[in-house]
Amino acid sequence: MDFYIQVLISGLLLGGIYALISIGLNLIFGVVRILNFAHGELVMLAMYGTFWLYKLYDLDPYLSLVVVLPAMFLFGVVLQRFILQPVLTTSGVMKMFTTVGISILMQNLALILWKGDFRAVQTFYSMSTIKFSGLIISIPRLVAFGAALLSIILLYLFLKYTYVGKALRAIVEDHATARLMGITVERHYLLAFGLGALFSALGGTLMMPFSSVYPTIGGPFTALAFVIVVLGGLGSMGGTFLAGLFIGVIEAFAGTFVSPGLKEAIYFVIFLLVLMVRPQGLFGMGRGTEEIGLK
Amino acid sequence: MLNLKGIDCFYGDFQVLRDLSLKVEAGQIVALLGPNAAGKSSTLAAISGALPYTKGEINFCEKPIKGIKPEKVVDLGIALVPEGRKLFQTLTVRENLELGAYSRHAREKRGKTLQQVYELFPVLKDRSSQTAGSLSGGEQQMCAIGRGLMAQPRLLMIDEMSLGLSPILAKQMFTMVQEIAAIGITIFLVEQQVHHTMRVADYTYIIEKGHITMSGPTKEIAANEHVKKTYLGM
Amino acid sequence: MKKYTLWIAGGLGALLLLLVPLYFKSTFVLHIYTLTFFYIGLTAAWNIMAYGGNLSLGHASFFAIGAYVGALLYVKLGISPWIGLTGAVAASFVGGMILSMPLIRLRGPFFTLATIAFTEVLRLIAIDWRDLTHGSAGLNIPFDLGWLNLTFKSGAPFYYIALALAVGSVWLSRWVRYSALGYHLRAAASDDQAAEALGVDFNLVQITALLISATLTAVLGLFYAFYSYVLEPATLFSFELFSLQPALNAIIGGMGTVWGPVIGAVFMTPLGEFLRFYLGTIQQGLNYVVYGIILIMTVRFFPGGILSLLTPLGVRFKRWIGDTGDNQ
Ligand SMILES: Nc1ncnc2c1ncn2[C@@H]1O[C@H](COP(=O)(O)OP(=O)(O)OP(=O)(O)O)[C@@H](O)[C@H]1O
Ligand SMILES: [Mg+2]
Repeated sequence: MDFYIQVLISGLLLGGIYALISIGLNLIFGVVRILNFAHGELVMLAMYGTFWLYKLYDLDPYLSLVVVLPAMFLFGVVLQRFILQPVLTTSGVMKMFTTVGISILMQNLALILWKGDFRAVQTFYSMSTIKFSGLIISIPRLVAFGAALLSIILLYLFLKYTYVGKALRAIVEDHATARLMGITVERHYLLAFGLGALFSALGGTLMMPFSSVYPTIGGPFTALAFVIVVLGGLGSMGGTFLAGLFIGVIEAFAGTFVSPGLKEAIYFVIFLLVLMVRPQGLFGMGRGTEEIGLK
Repeated sequence: MLNLKGIDCFYGDFQVLRDLSLKVEAGQIVALLGPNAAGKSSTLAAISGALPYTKGEINFCEKPIKGIKPEKVVDLGIALVPEGRKLFQTLTVRENLELGAYSRHAREKRGKTLQQVYELFPVLKDRSSQTAGSLSGGEQQMCAIGRGLMAQPRLLMIDEMSLGLSPILAKQMFTMVQEIAAIGITIFLVEQQVHHTMRVADYTYIIEKGHITMSGPTKEIAANEHVKKTYLGM
Repeated sequence: MKKYTLWIAGGLGALLLLLVPLYFKSTFVLHIYTLTFFYIGLTAAWNIMAYGGNLSLGHASFFAIGAYVGALLYVKLGISPWIGLTGAVAASFVGGMILSMPLIRLRGPFFTLATIAFTEVLRLIAIDWRDLTHGSAGLNIPFDLGWLNLTFKSGAPFYYIALALAVGSVWLSRWVRYSALGYHLRAAASDDQAAEALGVDFNLVQITALLISATLTAVLGLFYAFYSYVLEPATLFSFELFSLQPALNAIIGGMGTVWGPVIGAVFMTPLGEFLRFYLGTIQQGLNYVVYGIILIMTVRFFPGGILSLLTPLGVRFKRWIGDTGDNQ
């Protein structure tokens, strides 16, 4: 019994980070209406950033957030402004093809610049755990989960109560009408993309104390984030959070009970099933989804 | 105040507006009447900057506004209440109203404007924390007009306000429009509901197939035989 | 008159292509030609779905299905690939039916995502099913010369096979384009309400296109397996090689037209091989950097592809070759 609880807890802890990364994707999707295929590469870039700050300047991963988060926000803004904004009026698939191009580009630039090696950060707390009535919980994972939860709550409050947050929600619903209100839609796109990148970066950096980075690590994160966003519902932040936890738990159990090679296959099957049965997701919005190909 | 001169406008190959000219004088209620698909909404889209036009020009307060984006047009003092309300369904009534004041000049004063809108439509105050999607049709229309007023416009354009409203409610709404005009806001009404419109409008334009076919003080238009037959069903 | 010149030009071109193996003994040159023909076929097959507005990023799945079914029937049961073709077609048909389930509810980018997920599932199964596929290490097709075994001493026979496949694929794609099916596909792509009102079942039309596209891709996959001898999931299910590349070729040449995919494949395949051999050896990954840039630039600066760049030259050319060019 304890064993199951142990697996469940590690799944939930992992799921928190997945939720964080996926919320970034969902925000970008909801506001800018772009399916960002390069999302995992944003995570990858943040992980490398954390690694190099540690390696070159001996900066602790948690402290490196001070540099990594603003840098990745800016990176997201630049991507949106100079690469995606110009193709905003083309079809959804063409926009996605552009992000596929960005993904290939970033992946291979990382390979060229930093080689294919696995890079890890070894801190004094990397292996530290707390024991709690027979359960062993990794401290960096617990910290990551806590930080993920906190930032998701902050995002929720931001969207709910600030004027800019309300404008973002209005754009999610109907960007043409939002424009009539005087909302500078393109500028809010920059903000949303920056925030989306920031959230994935946060997820990436928080993972660094207990995992390693390599150029192709982004692919699985992109896949994971898409599964979670679709499962939780496009445009639904709460749904994404729950779906993130759910997928984390599935992963933890699948890793223990299913052939590890088929672990990922399970996500994709879930993804396909959700798309077939309830494409708007479990908590998703109905409105606006036709425009990007759900009916 | 608003002056459209010889507008030509296309959706692809399809010409929706043909050499369209009209004027809205300050302080008046001006109506644009016409059958389905005549190009009424397209005219409003062209004014609000959402639809580019190939020929002609539009002046607002003597200044050309061609090429100005919709989000900036509202800064100039032109607000549009779109056809079908287009409220942000998942946002609350209050949030909808607040967002109406997003443009630069209206933003600071939004608390005060909100109180004025609540005075005009007390029901919105009662419903303020309800989502807009849960309002009744009439309430939604009030919320949409309220949202337009939040931009502190000098010119308020309302597209098919009476759509989907009961006759009694529609009548009340037209009375509300007169009240709004009394505050000093110029009103450009686009309608198919001819009777009520003609009751409140000072000046009327008739649009057919993208072209203004008739215009004049409302009384004269109402007396016209063609209008009587086709629009008033007399 | 126009038809006449067309036939002469076509005949001359065909003759030249037939003579290539006699002049170029270099296996590298022959390989580039052969690969180009395979990609013309793949891109034309991919494009059949694009007529209906559905862009796949998962054609590697059908390619690998064809390759695995044909090769495994041969390796494990000794069945000639010529007979194995029926198996490849049948299996890809079933695969296409499965993929058409999400197609009924999805369009645009979400359908594209579904094609990716579908391919990933198959790829992971192929890697995991070691008894059958030998996992990620892959398995070789034994070298046993003979037409029946699709195994040859020189590169020439496969050159001709690939040429025939390319011609056949383009012919099929052209036939689809101008048939009632093609007309309905374009109506579906532009979401033509009038056509739907007339009783055109858009789902049926799109699924038919998917099945044609899938089975044709599987046939190409089978021949490719015997051309390359090696069956490994990393190659056959490769996103870059067989899912993205046909899409990229089509976009670059001119998606949704008959000749765009041909132009795209003829342009991109030698370029891709060149980049792989020269840049890829200087620095691993450099060739894909160029690919990423090409993809981003194409979508941004000429989303209509090379064919649209050639206008008005293209209009005249298309009229000349009898392509009325009324694409979406
Ligand atoms: N986005 C668009 N693309 C193509 N055609 C359009 C578009 N919007 C409107 N049209 C066409 O332009 C014509 C005029 O449309 P418009 O909406 O301006 O008419 P309207 O007078 O407002 O009609 P209604 O009273 O029904 O609202 C119609 O024939 C319509 O089909
Ligand atoms: Mg209208």
